[in-house]
Amino acid sequence: MYGNDDYVDQAPYDMNGYMSPADHEALEGHDDAGYEQPMYTNIPDGVKKFLVYLRDCINEGVVYEISNLYETTFPRLTEQYFENVPWPEVSEIKNLVNCDPVFLILYRELYYRHIYAHIPHGPTLMQRFDSYATYCELFNYIINASEPVPLDLPDIWLWELIDEFVYQYQSFSQYRANLMKRTPEELELLNQNNQVWNVLCVLNVLCSLVEKSNIKRQLEVHASGGDAESVAGEFGRYPLYKKLGYFSLVGLLRLHSLCGDYYLAIRVLDNIELHRKSQFSYVPACQITVSYYVGFAYMMMRRYSDAIRTFTSILLYIQRTKQLFQTRSYQNDQINKQTDRMYHLLAICLVLHPQYVDEAIQQVLREKNYHEKMYKMQCGDLAEFEACFAFACPKFLAPAPPVDAPVEDYVKEPINHQIRVFMDEVKQQKMIPTIRSYLKLYTTLPLAKLAMFLSSESHRHGEAVKSRDLNEAIEGLITQLLCFKHKMKNIVWTKGTSGLDGIFQSGSELDFYMDNDMIHIADTTVSHRYADFFIRKILKFQELNRKLHMIKF
Amino acid sequence: MEDGRKQTIANLLKDIERYNPENLPTLECYVEHQCRENTYDLEANLAVLKLYQLNPQRYNIGIICQILLKALTNLPHTDFVLCKCLLNAKHLEESLVKQIMQLADVLERCDFREFWARIHTPEFADNVVHITGFHDSIRKYVCHVVGITFQTVDKTLLAGLLGGVDDQTLKQWVKKYGWKEEANGIIFVANQDENIKTKNITEKIDFENAAAIMAASQ
Repeated sequence: MYGNDDYVDQAPYDMNGYMSPADHEALEGHDDAGYEQPMYTNIPDGVKKFLVYLRDCINEGVVYEISNLYETTFPRLTEQYFENVPWPEVSEIKNLVNCDPVFLILYRELYYRHIYAHIPHGPTLMQRFDSYATYCELFNYIINASEPVPLDLPDIWLWELIDEFVYQYQSFSQYRANLMKRTPEELELLNQNNQVWNVLCVLNVLCSLVEKSNIKRQLEVHASGGDAESVAGEFGRYPLYKKLGYFSLVGLLRLHSLCGDYYLAIRVLDNIELHRKSQFSYVPACQITVSYYVGFAYMMMRRYSDAIRTFTSILLYIQRTKQLFQTRSYQNDQINKQTDRMYHLLAICLVLHPQYVDEAIQQVLREKNYHEKMYKMQCGDLAEFEACFAFACPKFLAPAPPVDAPVEDYVKEPINHQIRVFMDEVKQQKMIPTIRSYLKLYTTLPLAKLAMFLSSESHRHGEAVKSRDLNEAIEGLITQLLCFKHKMKNIVWTKGTSGLDGIFQSGSELDFYMDNDMIHIADTTVSHRYADFFIRKILKFQELNRKLHMIKF
Repeated sequence: MEDGRKQTIANLLKDIERYNPENLPTLECYVEHQCRENTYDLEANLAVLKLYQLNPQRYNIGIICQILLKALTNLPHTDFVLCKCLLNAKHLEESLVKQIMQLADVLERCDFREFWARIHTPEFADNVVHITGFHDSIRKYVCHVVGITFQTVDKTLLAGLLGGVDDQTLKQWVKKYGWKEEANGIIFVANQDENIKTKNITEKIDFENAAAIMAASQ
């Protein structure tokens, strides 16, 4: 399936053929041009020890210890020695680890990941190319093996590997799209190497990992109550393949979302129980990423109830487990950012589709700047809608790079397109909040009376409403009321293995129907909830009590 | 026959094969087939738009328009939005695409009178003629919206929403949806008051939630 695809001129990614030898030379030549050569001809002893120890742990498969080194020691050493400079190059540490090939690929991946995250101005073109080559080597090693490779890495490492792979693709396509900022040499190199970081290669890697691990079949069997292991196959039985397969599905979710393909985004997650904590992954960052993209896709499909359910459940989870994240600062930053984005998206959804959400979430939305933003949006402030959306949406990209195009900046185009689609929807719904605010005051309301209210709002200067105008106003109002009902009646997931399934429901708190020319209104009142609050406090006190009892004087 | 075709297409949409541009001619034919035969396959149509997205030089504006119009026939579902998200600024500049966008906007706003006025203009009539059952698909959507909004509706109003249909046609639609014509030109749609009621959400505590606390405080 991969490596011998006959529909692209060059195989999208393959072990040796991704760059010609000439490019390799170019690459070596450029290596030192991109950033200042750091001052560590002598690598600090602590770093040396770390590298040797990490290699040993990987070779012996001590996952617990690897996890510790990866999550704690590596960031600590980074902070200590490599805050703004790259880690030592592969050639510098090669002998230190006896040229262990697998370790060197893994190291190279970390080396580039660090450059992407910490080096001012980001990676150079050559570094981007070589980082891509690193992924090719790593994934070829894993996917092309005739039997499962003896490699065991902690879940968090595997997740960040896939996540970073998609991120670097995203970063590259933005770099690629900004033709204004590229030098002629860079443009030439880019055009010569169109297969590098090509979207098909990225798709191919993710699809191959999914296929190799039989993860779809495993999830299907698991969802129907069977034993996933029984269908896992030779590779999928191993944690390395199984986890990579699972994370690749999430990678695909993200990639499809970035291209604006929301249908496929949700489709790839078939058989994953979105509303429950996954049995396949205990990585919070992965869970949060899933919820962010799924919720976003639902919002774009006008499935507000589903979006609100997705966001609130993950935001509650984050609220309650916050202490757990605090120790790991680099993950924390990412989680905080995504949390803020999701509150923005949730705010948008709740303005468009008011409904009851958990008290703890409402609390947050009442505080901070969300309250003001929601108020503005409720008043029909389109600029506020756009600002919230632009802030919180994924960084969309065009999967096909600009070829033979005028030298312009194409980065913003895909984002602007999605903003446009969203704003078209918002504009269609513009009158709904106003109508809702009137309906809220009544249980029954004649059509003509509401039409008067609305037209007096548009003629504020006291002109009398003529009867011909009134008939027109009523006609217009019927259209708006039909639109209200249509927009508030959406597909909502109730059961089934696909997140795309669902039935039409009206989930918003205010509903109405028309009996000829009389509007009958049904509102929802929610009484205050205390139980949850008290249960949590009681548990907290019990825990405190228990700890106090354990203290010995 | 139809099932067989659908299966063949489904195989083209599996995994990485979905992104194979060599499948475009087959999939484009399939779009035309759907227009002719009044069938519909959102997944296949989205795959076509995806291939255009990946291979911008290969897009066919006629096919895009057909896909968009077919998406309108599946209202109230949001297929049209899904298709729109896969297009780009360049596609939207095409005049026919622009007009279809406006048409979709009118339908999404439920401004059905405006819709029927537009659809009979020559530029649309010519395009829509290739889409079998287009008008009736829109009428189904109108009936959906009417069905969720009205308990009783004025007959003239309903006929207007359905595109100024004659009495005979109106009766057929009323019958199809199980509505009833009453006296005084009123049509009874459904007992909405059974479903649309004022709700009070009161607090309920699951036994599961409280059990742990009760057990611990013994």
